[in-house]
Amino acid sequence: MKAVCWMGAGKVEIQTVEDPKIINPGDAVIRVTRTAICGSDLHLFDGYIPTMESGDILGHEFMGVVEEVGTAVKKLKRGDRVVIPFTIACGSCFFCKTDLWSLCDNSNPNARICETMYGYSGSALFGYSHIYGGFAGGQAQYVRVPFADVGPIKIESDIPDEKVLFLSDIYPTGYQAAENAQIKPGDTVAVFGCGPVGLFAIASAYMFGAEKVIAIDRFPERLKLAREYCGATTIDYTAGNPSIVEALRDLSNGIGPDSIIDAVGMEAHGTDAAAFYDKIDQALMLETDRPTVLRQAIQAVRKGGTLSIPGVYGGDLDKLNFGAAFGKGITMKMGQTNMHKYLAPLLKSIEDGKIDPSFMISHRVGIEDVPDMYKIWRDKKDRVTKIVIDPFREKGIDRLRA
Amino acid sequence: MAQAAEQFDAPSFPKQGAIWKPLPKGKQGKQQAAHTVQTIRATPDQVFNLYTRIEFLPAWMEGVVSVQRLSPKKLRWLMQDPGTGKQFEFDAEEVESVPGKRYVSRVTTGPTAGTTNTLTLEAHPSGRGTVATLINVFTLPGGLFTKAVTSVVSRSPAQITIENLRHLKEVLEAGEIPSVEGQPAGRRGISGKLKQVLYGENMPMPPGTSDRARPDDLPESASKGPSKWGVLLGSAVAVAVLGSLLFVETKSDPSGESLHD
Ligand SMILES: NC(=O)c1ccc[n+]([C@@H]2O[C@H](COP(=O)([O-])OP(=O)(O)OC[C@H]3O[C@@H](n4cnc5c(N)ncnc54)[C@H](O)[C@@H]3O)[C@@H](O)[C@H]2O)c1
Ligand SMILES: [Zn+2]
Ligand SMILES: [Zn+2]
Repeated sequence: MKAVCWMGAGKVEIQTVEDPKIINPGDAVIRVTRTAICGSDLHLFDGYIPTMESGDILGHEFMGVVEEVGTAVKKLKRGDRVVIPFTIACGSCFFCKTDLWSLCDNSNPNARICETMYGYSGSALFGYSHIYGGFAGGQAQYVRVPFADVGPIKIESDIPDEKVLFLSDIYPTGYQAAENAQIKPGDTVAVFGCGPVGLFAIASAYMFGAEKVIAIDRFPERLKLAREYCGATTIDYTAGNPSIVEALRDLSNGIGPDSIIDAVGMEAHGTDAAAFYDKIDQALMLETDRPTVLRQAIQAVRKGGTLSIPGVYGGDLDKLNFGAAFGKGITMKMGQTNMHKYLAPLLKSIEDGKIDPSFMISHRVGIEDVPDMYKIWRDKKDRVTKIVIDPFREKGIDRLRA
Repeated sequence: MAQAAEQFDAPSFPKQGAIWKPLPKGKQGKQQAAHTVQTIRATPDQVFNLYTRIEFLPAWMEGVVSVQRLSPKKLRWLMQDPGTGKQFEFDAEEVESVPGKRYVSRVTTGPTAGTTNTLTLEAHPSGRGTVATLINVFTLPGGLFTKAVTSVVSRSPAQITIENLRHLKEVLEAGEIPSVEGQPAGRRGISGKLKQVLYGENMPMPPGTSDRARPDDLPESASKGPSKWGVLLGSAVAVAVLGSLLFVETKSDPSGESLHD
């Protein structure tokens, strides 16, 4: 089959590799009908996540049709149409049973590496480095899915792939971000980053009863979606005049947003002096993450407010204003998304017509286009907002919002 | 505070605490101790039953090819270092066996004679299953052979202790041991090839309930030994027997061999 392979920082290639096969009795093999590139893939592409190896198959947002199932699989059969959550969970450990699916005890074959770095290991993820299990990802024509009775959600209606594909990650991720923000009806919420995760976080914040959602980014096409599809008041943080902290204070009646969501993560773009040092530090490997947005969010949130962090951080942070976090008594909630918890209710919201997640798709491409699209996605060129891949289509770029 | 008092019986003070006693760890002369603790979502009997079923040891314990019963309390172990393919044998005796609570065995022959393994089981105080503590005290005679014995799968004695109890938990809770062994990948390059072992792609994980026949699927150099694992563990059989261990509340399976009968 053809697969998107990581071949070193800044380099992905389409290679012909062996087809995946059943390894464990709970496995299924899926023929992938649609897959996507995620903001998280950029951290791999840019080389900030350790334990990637040449030849690793990328991709954790995918859906498709069941091709084959292992001997222990009961709920799925050949021909079923499914969306696969990007976190791999056993469904029976303490963590799975308490809805902390992304912290599953039993899915990561390399748990020992993660334990060395983090104390304890989270669940395995598809296509996301060997600390997270080294599972081959879904930017490929076929993919092996462990615990097939636990993760995949069946799509029984004839709803198009592209409306349900984002159940694999970014819709639940934006939704959990809003849930973690502990929003109460009437609240003001600010969201840093209007990438796919930020956009779903904005929409979800309204689902949790937010009165006003403020969205921050610098790309007009992203700010436009935030404003015109999701209903946010938008701030272009490069437009100069006030600082972000000041703008957020003014927009929240002088007290700061009740909750702030950091949907940017470790590779935040920054213009202030601290950001300049972060870039140097990160280049010298003195710090692994650039916490520009995290610092601003800590500074801007109201006293006693909540910071929700879906944006990914991988290692150590430098010069974090932890004193401000302490001094204002804020709450922080974060982590990989507990995907399995959200699949059924969010599928229902789509089938009920409350939201059409395909609103953010800007590009539909064939598999041979993927290496170029990684660069476009990284540089946010070509007004890109979300790229979906048909892995059985060789070449051809459809621009959906030309 | 007020809430806590409503939910529980409010404690009164003074209240007697305890002093923490570290579990065995580290080297002393020829002995090296290692330990690991896991909470397993299963009853103490279920954990005990799987741990003491010798025909299942190759399924979850690293480097085990087979274990045979020589007499009611004597076992012969055949191990293989997957890195080198070297096989070695030793005998062990059962020192203590209290179903659902405690199992102790000791190696009696070969250069590691004197090595003891102690598994202690207790019901989790708030109902999360079983707290399992595994303490291994390895006797290390020194030399190359020791290395083969104690660094099975290139693991340190401490790590192999941790991994073995982890695998037991994985099989009991999830019904399988997670693995990426044999999955597809693009071109690995030189460093990638080296690290494939480290990252488990061609480092043999115990097969758990899968029908990966070990050691036939090891790299060439390691695949010379006889394959008994495949015969021992067809996946359907394994799933069925594990199923009976997990879901039927029988204390011991009369048809199967069990170390405590
Ligand atoms: N927690 C999870 O489970 C999970 C799941 C998916 C993605 N993520 C993470 O969420 C983050 C966003 O993902 P995405 O797919 O939306 O990525 P993306 O790269 O498309 O979006 C990031 C957005 O942040 C904006 N941005 C950069 N610097 C900024 C700054 N200083 N202020 C305001 N905005 C800034 C960028 O312009 C971009 O639009 C990533 O870190 C990703 O890894 C987490
Ligand atoms: Zn993602
Ligand atoms: Zn689990």
